[in-house]
Amino acid sequence: MTLDHFWSILFLSLHAMVPITLTAAGEVVGERAGLFNIGLEGILLLSAFTGALGAEAGGWPLGLLVGIGTGAVVGLFFGLINAYWKGNQLITGVGINLFALGFVAFGLRALGTPAFHDVPRDVRLPAIQTPVGGLSPIVFLALVMPFAIHWFLNRTRAGLWVRAVGENPEAADVAGVPVELVRLLATTFGAALAGLAGAYMSISWMGAVTKEMAAGRGFIALATVVFSGLRPILTLAGGFIFGFFDSLATWIANIPGVKEAIPWQFVSMIPYIVTLLVVTGVIGRVRFPKALGVPYRRE
Amino acid sequence: MPEPLLKAERIVKVYLDGTVALRGVDFEIRPGEIQGLLGENGAGKTTLTKMISGLLPPTSGRLLLGGVPVRLHSPKDALTCGIGMVHQHFALVANFTALENIALGTGRPADQALRASIEELMERTGLGVPLDTPVENLAVGERQRVEILKVLSRAVRVLILDEPTSVLTPVETEELFNFLRRLKEEEGVGIVFITHKLREVLEITDRVTVLRRGEVVGEVMTRETSAKELARMMVGAEFRARGRRPVELMTEIPVEERRVGAERAREPALVVEDLHVPADSGGEAVKGISFELYPGEILGIAGVEGNGQTELVEAICGLREGKGSVRLRGREILGLPPLELYRLGLAHIPEDRWKYGLILSFTVAENAILGRQRSPRFLGRLAMLKWGEVFAHVRELIERFSIQAPGREAPAKSLSGGNQQKLIVGRELSQEPEVVIAAQPTRGLDIGAAEYIRDILLEMRDAGKAILLVSADLDEVLELSDRVAFMYVGTFTAITTPAEVDRETAGLYMGGMKG
Amino acid sequence: MKRVYDTLRSVAESILAAIIGLVVAGLILKAWGYSPISAYIALFEASFKDLYGFSGALANATPLILTALTFAVAARAGLFNIGAEGQMYLGALAAVAASLFRLPPVLHLLVALAFAGAAGALWALVPSGLRATRGVSEVISTIMFNWISRFLAFWLVANVLVDPYRAEKTITVLPPSRFPTLVRGTDLSYAIFLAVAVALLVYFLLRYTVTGYEMRAAGANPDAARYGGVRSAKVIVLVFLLGGITAGLAGATQSLGRPPSYAVFSGLPKISNLGFDGIGVAMIGRNHPLGIIFAAIFYGGLQSGARVMQLFAGIPLEMVRMVQGVIVLALALPELLRIFRGFRRRRVELGGER
Repeated sequence: MTLDHFWSILFLSLHAMVPITLTAAGEVVGERAGLFNIGLEGILLLSAFTGALGAEAGGWPLGLLVGIGTGAVVGLFFGLINAYWKGNQLITGVGINLFALGFVAFGLRALGTPAFHDVPRDVRLPAIQTPVGGLSPIVFLALVMPFAIHWFLNRTRAGLWVRAVGENPEAADVAGVPVELVRLLATTFGAALAGLAGAYMSISWMGAVTKEMAAGRGFIALATVVFSGLRPILTLAGGFIFGFFDSLATWIANIPGVKEAIPWQFVSMIPYIVTLLVVTGVIGRVRFPKALGVPYRRE
Repeated sequence: MPEPLLKAERIVKVYLDGTVALRGVDFEIRPGEIQGLLGENGAGKTTLTKMISGLLPPTSGRLLLGGVPVRLHSPKDALTCGIGMVHQHFALVANFTALENIALGTGRPADQALRASIEELMERTGLGVPLDTPVENLAVGERQRVEILKVLSRAVRVLILDEPTSVLTPVETEELFNFLRRLKEEEGVGIVFITHKLREVLEITDRVTVLRRGEVVGEVMTRETSAKELARMMVGAEFRARGRRPVELMTEIPVEERRVGAERAREPALVVEDLHVPADSGGEAVKGISFELYPGEILGIAGVEGNGQTELVEAICGLREGKGSVRLRGREILGLPPLELYRLGLAHIPEDRWKYGLILSFTVAENAILGRQRSPRFLGRLAMLKWGEVFAHVRELIERFSIQAPGREAPAKSLSGGNQQKLIVGRELSQEPEVVIAAQPTRGLDIGAAEYIRDILLEMRDAGKAILLVSADLDEVLELSDRVAFMYVGTFTAITTPAEVDRETAGLYMGGMKG
Repeated sequence: MKRVYDTLRSVAESILAAIIGLVVAGLILKAWGYSPISAYIALFEASFKDLYGFSGALANATPLILTALTFAVAARAGLFNIGAEGQMYLGALAAVAASLFRLPPVLHLLVALAFAGAAGALWALVPSGLRATRGVSEVISTIMFNWISRFLAFWLVANVLVDPYRAEKTITVLPPSRFPTLVRGTDLSYAIFLAVAVALLVYFLLRYTVTGYEMRAAGANPDAARYGGVRSAKVIVLVFLLGGITAGLAGATQSLGRPPSYAVFSGLPKISNLGFDGIGVAMIGRNHPLGIIFAAIFYGGLQSGARVMQLFAGIPLEMVRMVQGVIVLALALPELLRIFRGFRRRRVELGGER
């Protein structure tokens, strides 16, 4: 392996890490507040699509905003249904995923690009040029975000509230914390970050929208949350591991010789198998918030 | 005499379901004084303090703070008025540090300023806790100090402690008492100390108010009273008149003789030896209990709830791990799964009928075979349940235990509490067990249903079953049992016969005085 | 009485949710510049007006009944099994694999079905084991298994079962192992009877056998189930195996009973999402085997009608999955009907104040 290979793998991994780390770090906030969102997969897909439309309408800044906004709106719905109306979090998540699958496929076909929707190069987020290739600015955001969230959760009063409502909503309530509102805002924030991740995929990383572009990343992000033990900074490590295996798959598949020896389909399985192994390995050692997934009712 | 800090006048509380918890209670808290609040389960202690600390509004009556009427809408209001409460079940976030918990409770950020003021407070009061360790890693006594610090950091004038020693070791209790004395003398705080333990009342309080069934039955200066007098006030002198035939007449053999005869003539049905059961919160809930249970007797376990009865029963019935020995007809059964125990002839009427006893969304018929779904009577070919047999069984239960149900296909949640309990009792007793463990079998039932369940237990006893009756209702235990044990903080303080204890002695045993 | 009332309430909630789904999707259509009214008329006329259209609805319902059962059986036992998708792929391919050899007519079909059921069950084994022994969330494990099986299926289609003459599809299933067509000129085959029979069988299992009793007990009250001697690990494995079998059969109905192709294509275009749609169907059918039959016909009708709608009104057929998503969201609310009653009461109160 040459130095070029190293840089190429590193850059591929960093780019593949972004959606998983951003989504997982956001979901850490939501789960710390007690809400478990399995609709992240759908949010990634939805905001990849709406983000691309936004970029085509008003350039990449609008695209990013629309992506974040899409995530936030879905998160708001999720929060209303579950924090206020005490709905079933798993079912809500499934509903979001099904809706996203339908909406994006519908939209892509309505736009006349059912299989592959290319985002024009001039509205994509410009990459930062380095001697060894382009790097998306969002990569830096993804590297910083977990630290910011760590600071927020552990050093601010609002962060204290978030952790309190997920761990012991009764105690938080007695202390005068508005449990439902904190949960709503926390999950909305998490979903907005997933929205940013989705927009990044379509207008920065892949430069295209397809029905299958989320490719389980929303669920891998959930697995990363488990892996991190709900510590935001560790979502960087988790995201990088999956990003590495994700890009390794792309990379291996293009090496002459390897391509013939191992069918690409098996290489493509690697991220999912790794996810499963990692989750199986850490489970039992992870301490989840006590009120995770449990609606809070007074008395 | 100093002006009271807080005065409660003619407080009445009627809950939404019609339960009258307090019937016009007057209560005073004075500065620099420790006021004991003594009573059995359901006497109204907790309800009263919930109202003083802003958790519940009174139905009628008023609170006077320094002579001025106040309304408290939330614990926050109460804290603003200088009233703080430390609950029996701590309102702490387990994975937060002490500092974070205090920050949450005070609404201040967990910063250096808060740390400095807490350290100063710890210095002043002598209540030291590590501030940066998650409270789940602290000992229970330390967690309680965090709760107290949380309240004291709000500069309270009134401090209410609900059963504060129930989770403490003797050393920790002594430390707490020293702290309370200092707090009262140096800071002039008025302290309310809620308990059912007589020794502690005598040791720490200055004045005692005794509550029974929602009424103040006595208010005395501690130095002018005795454990005996307090016990008598706490449990009352009179028996409830229920119009039941005295137990002795039902079998024509005096209780004493039957018991003695049973012990000598027969093998015990159940032998428990040196049983230890861990508590959920760490430590031991049951600290080495031994007893023997004979066929044809009811052994009652009396005691205030939370003294390890639940854990004792769950360990015997295979729902919780324990150390020691439990033998059913000579066979070791500790650790066997519930269904196996059932087959061996041990029936369990669980304390929490919605947790273990019933599946509320299941029909009456489906609930009637829970735990017996694989017995040959109900299990046919191809894993099919013989619904004809099941329905016949339900019909028997409904008839024999006069269960009022809309139908055998009605969901169990549509039955009244009494009929739900009859269904459980019927199901557990219908397979003719040799040993019956009945935990709080009449709790929450109306008088008719409760009487019915008690009659069934007596009937089973007369049919030669061995029955362990665990109940927080002292009258019930004394009335039904042939022998009675008193449980206090994980041990028996006495095992005797109802005839040998008067209510005063019973109160002493329940309050931790050894027999 | 109570039981009847509960049933009616569930049905009413599903119908209300379906209406909400249609209305919300209609608003999105409108926003996109389509006419929702004419779209829905075209859609419902196409699938529920005549036998031809209804056959299409039933043909679509066939696999959905089976994948919905996968989810429903698990849900009744308190588990969230979303692995039908992947199990279904492998079932479809295992059924094709049975055409690598020749057998007499009826036997060949039975063997192909057995292959499919076994493949689905095998694929469900690992997630169930991880859940039963290690407590790994079945939500994550089954999704990962879905993706792994997707790539495995791609590989099987391209390398193992590939048609020697057409690289983009598997070998064509041999006629003796096909389901005969039920209505000539439509793609409805006798497979619908298999799906309904399995649903009835599951209904029977849940309601009349001790196994079903214990599954339901574990789902309704795990503590009481433990007290009643139910072993949760056993229930988990059983539920997943059963779900794997029905999902595998769902795949088989597509490769053995869906004219005209009788093969699986690369990229899995015809069978993708049947497992996920089954989750929605299970919810609309309230996880009840009989409810699922009706819900599947409703959703199958939407799908086949949508194809006609796309043809004539130019509206993308994927909108039906949008409808389904909204329906599921509505059903996530614990007491949908009560929320509506609450809204009404609040409005009355406001009116009174004015």
